[in-house]
Amino acid sequence: MGLHRFKPLPSGRMGILWTLATIRDAALIEFGCMGHMLYSGVTLKRAGVYDACRLYSTHIDETDIALGSTKRLNDTIAAVSRRDKPRVIFLLPSSIPEVIGTDIFALCEELQPAYPDVRLLPFGFGGFDVSQHRGVQEALLLLAEALPLSISRTPQPTFNIIGSCADLFRFQADAGELVRIIKGALGMKPLCVLTSDTAVTDIENLGGAHINLVIRREGELAAKHLREHFGTPYLAGRPYGIDGTISWLEDIAQISGLTANAAFLNAERELARQQLSSAMPSFRHIVHAHPEEAVLSLGGHTDVVRGILSFGCGELALVKGSCWCDCPDMGDADIPYFSEDEWTKVLQDHKKGYLMASGEALAWAGRNLELQISNPDTKWRLHPYEPPLVGFRGAVQLAKLWINENAGGL
Amino acid sequence: MNELKHLKHLSAVKANTGIKFLTPAASPGSHCPMRMASVIVENVRGLSSLLVGMPECATHSRLFNPKPEGNHGELHWLYVLDSHEVVFGCREGLMAALREMDKAGAKAILMIVTCVPELIGEDMEGILHEVQPELSARVTFVTLAQFKNVSYPPGLWRTMEAVGTLMNDGETDASRINVLGRAPEEDHIPLPSLLPALMQRGLALRYLAPGASLQDFLNAPDAALNLVVSPFMQPLAVKMNQEFGVPYIALNNHYDVESIDRAYEDIANLFGFSWGNAFAEERQKALALEEQAQEQFSGLRYILSPRIDMPVALAVYLAGLGMEPLLLHLEDCYPEDRTHVKRLISLGYDPLVCRMVNAAADVPLLATLKPDICFGYLPAAKTIPCVPDMFDFYGQIGYDRTSNLLSRSLGVLDDRGLSAKKRRSRHGAAPV
Repeated sequence: MGLHRFKPLPSGRMGILWTLATIRDAALIEFGCMGHMLYSGVTLKRAGVYDACRLYSTHIDETDIALGSTKRLNDTIAAVSRRDKPRVIFLLPSSIPEVIGTDIFALCEELQPAYPDVRLLPFGFGGFDVSQHRGVQEALLLLAEALPLSISRTPQPTFNIIGSCADLFRFQADAGELVRIIKGALGMKPLCVLTSDTAVTDIENLGGAHINLVIRREGELAAKHLREHFGTPYLAGRPYGIDGTISWLEDIAQISGLTANAAFLNAERELARQQLSSAMPSFRHIVHAHPEEAVLSLGGHTDVVRGILSFGCGELALVKGSCWCDCPDMGDADIPYFSEDEWTKVLQDHKKGYLMASGEALAWAGRNLELQISNPDTKWRLHPYEPPLVGFRGAVQLAKLWINENAGGL
Repeated sequence: MNELKHLKHLSAVKANTGIKFLTPAASPGSHCPMRMASVIVENVRGLSSLLVGMPECATHSRLFNPKPEGNHGELHWLYVLDSHEVVFGCREGLMAALREMDKAGAKAILMIVTCVPELIGEDMEGILHEVQPELSARVTFVTLAQFKNVSYPPGLWRTMEAVGTLMNDGETDASRINVLGRAPEEDHIPLPSLLPALMQRGLALRYLAPGASLQDFLNAPDAALNLVVSPFMQPLAVKMNQEFGVPYIALNNHYDVESIDRAYEDIANLFGFSWGNAFAEERQKALALEEQAQEQFSGLRYILSPRIDMPVALAVYLAGLGMEPLLLHLEDCYPEDRTHVKRLISLGYDPLVCRMVNAAADVPLLATLKPDICFGYLPAAKTIPCVPDMFDFYGQIGYDRTSNLLSRSLGVLDDRGLSAKKRRSRHGAAPV
């Protein structure tokens, strides 16, 4: 890790917390100092998460550490189960129990018989070399392993979204657009949007879906588990652009054995094209006459970067600039991982064209904050009604952002 | 009462560990002291910082100090320990980081040390001893692990103490006063009347608080007096008294008119002048309100909830007005609290003390104590009359603060029909 000027790569513990914190009818108890949970709660509220998982901290003091006492954890579980009556209590160690080696799994096993109506579900992967993305991955997998009930598929076609988590920029709006277009194109309803819009019951019903849609690679292990356990097929990918979205919907139709509603697809395609029509001559002119202004540089989650790049360069003929991802484990030759030294250089060198990155990076460089596609965020979001970046509406939104960038805000 | 049996009485509390949570399950809980340190360093012009901790601390600190660089060349950087350093220490990495900040132009650096580096026992003094001779920047540190410092106040007073270690000794300027706890460009806290009165007598005031420059802090030992207007600055005043011999007068703890009289007199004597009738009007107002309060408050039982600067000092004052403390929320055990604790106990009161970390669960429990009134922050407690927003009095001192506090409290009593007059009319005439 070492010296940083900007927010470091979040820990696995933070990834787990952001994944679980949106689940309704559940409580999350962190075993550690209370500041962690207080500020995680602030961050989640700023991101627009409310009325979801109840967040608690045990706090821990030097006597607890010296004596290895876990009484605070016992007391907190007792108080939360009595007061809130959650279906599930997620338990998460903070960095201190990780250092002193508290066995939170053994504790839960010991305490579980005392709470027959509440499932105690401990989460690990709090180690010091585990990053946020691994934490998200393991949290999604454990949810898929631990909570689903043995149920049959729903009579009507349904789907799950896996990987819509609070750590992704504009996660709620994107999930909303996916649900809208799947319903319109395929008449399918969501069983569970894991985890941005779900209750414990929805997770228990995961196995009833006809298809799992994995919208970030961290969800693939969970989807594989569900395929193994329930035989549910899955599709991995995020739909960006007009053609990209149609192709994604057609893939879902094919896997699910359904026929996409041609009228809906045509109407959506036509509407998006009409909305883009006035900007298209400008895009064509920029690409032809000012190619340096058509350079598209992107930094963020690798799946988001790939998706936006495929729309920008594939459907609007923009030119690929410097593109990077925010996780060292996900970097490859096409979209490498950039450290802060590397991405700050990109921001400084990027003179013309479109630069989309985290709010923190754009704010530091004095760039257009409208072009944010990833976190860390710098703004309060509060609600999920901002335009999505995926799907048909996302395609128009992205094009709107780019054309306004060319217009210099005029 | 069974739910309160785990709490200690004030007389039995010797340190922070004696202050028990009123109810378990912190939600949202108390602020981390790291928060206050991060806020302070962003607001001391010329002071750079290096936060040392895990990704959580580094990430959350950016909620309070969002930019890596300040407007005057300050650097606010973060040092995150990796798994190897958690086991074997971060000595080498930290020294390299300090060298890099020095090279990048930091003038003075405050290291904010959070939980894990403190837990693993990293020797910060040793690191500084080794690396300081190589650096142009002066470096100091503050250890703020929340497992030792349960809430935010140490983040303020320990940080200010740490800034004090950078100070330079200087020749005393007989007409210079440091005002500890008020910013130079303060537009939120009303200016206490004492301060312009001091200036009218030819004394120069140097305001020291977040918002001041590092240079002002460095020069501070040349003052003839430290005037403390914030509880968070008193430990620095004590330290400056020990290190540089600068006397101090703490005004933030004085609520009653008599004590304020004495403190103001002490200031005048120190500089060899007399106040005359300078504060006569505001003093008279405070006295009149005190008399009224004595009549109205006497016999009322109260609790102190969060967001009060110096709860024990306030409890001493309220005891003088005849009020009985049932339970005090203490955010921190300040060094100077010992005097106030002794005083309160000598007045015959030994209330329960606690730390409230979950308002939703705490409020119903507080209601079972049947207090007549509460001072402090108590969300959604419709059944308990409350004097809210006690932080409004932060940084205020003197007769005016006393008047404002009493006016507000009397207003609440009156609104809730709890004034002595109304109580008497409700229950018949008071016995003579």
